[in-house]
Amino acid sequence: MRIEKCYFCSGPVYPGHGVMFVRNDSKTFRFCKSKCHKNFKKKRNPRKTRWTKAFRKAAGKELTVDNSLEFEKRRNIPVKYSREMWDKTVEAMKRVEEIKLKRQARFIMNRLKKGKQLETEEAIKEVKKNIHLIKAPHAGKDKQLEDKMVQRLQEDVEMGDDDD
Amino acid sequence: MGKSKQTGNHKSDKKKNIAKKWKTKRRTRDLDQIHTDMKPETVAKLLHQEVDYDVTGCAQHYCLHCARYFVDLRSLKEHFKTKVHKKRLKQLREEPYTQAEAERAAGMGSYIPPKKVEVTTQPVEEDMD
Repeated sequence: MRIEKCYFCSGPVYPGHGVMFVRNDSKTFRFCKSKCHKNFKKKRNPRKTRWTKAFRKAAGKELTVDNSLEFEKRRNIPVKYSREMWDKTVEAMKRVEEIKLKRQARFIMNRLKKGKQLETEEAIKEVKKNIHLIKAPHAGKDKQLEDKMVQRLQEDVEMGDDDD
Repeated sequence: MGKSKQTGNHKSDKKKNIAKKWKTKRRTRDLDQIHTDMKPETVAKLLHQEVDYDVTGCAQHYCLHCARYFVDLRSLKEHFKTKVHKKRLKQLREEPYTQAEAERAAGMGSYIPPKKVEVTTQPVEEDMD
């Protein structure tokens, strides 16, 4: 007994669930639900269908290359039962799963950082472009002119003093 | 995902018998099957088939990439110029999707990006005498 993976969405296909399609060249395809089967019949490409795992991996939405992904594999090598090994394997599986989940979560958080950065950049750009809506172009001009006048008058007075 | 492939819903004949079209008994050749067809030894076999009166054009004019028979050389050549054929070539340029890839996507191994394959329209032999 084995939990197979769906051809289309890569979800688990438990024994007694889903559909298996055998093509006339005897190649088999397993589907976890009718949605996947229908999409296959429509000849959709799982790499281009946004809700599949294959798309998410191909588009860089999820962690793709990592050592934690190398444990679960179809090995096809019969292993002799030993209780000790069995216990250890179960322990290891738990630990590997924990590490994997942590790394996947971190990958997604790092991926989302880029969006935040772009958002702030965009906001700064917008403010710079539309600054006239916040601050009137001539606001504070009067005060500036007055200051300049006062300064010039003072200079004149000083000059007058020098002449005398 | 890009632009939608849908070209019209009401007037097009394409959508008349959609449920029939998707029946597995009417299943046309898949892209991975065509990829195996594209191997040199099978190419020779498919392009030089024996005369079969049950098949369109007596199985003499076959488009390898679209897995379709044509009545004569002229319509085959016309077909090479069409959007359907060019779209098919484009789809074939990527390595076919496999169960192994589905398993890798499910977390059994790291992701391996699909390879590009060079695909061009089959050469047309001009000597038809």
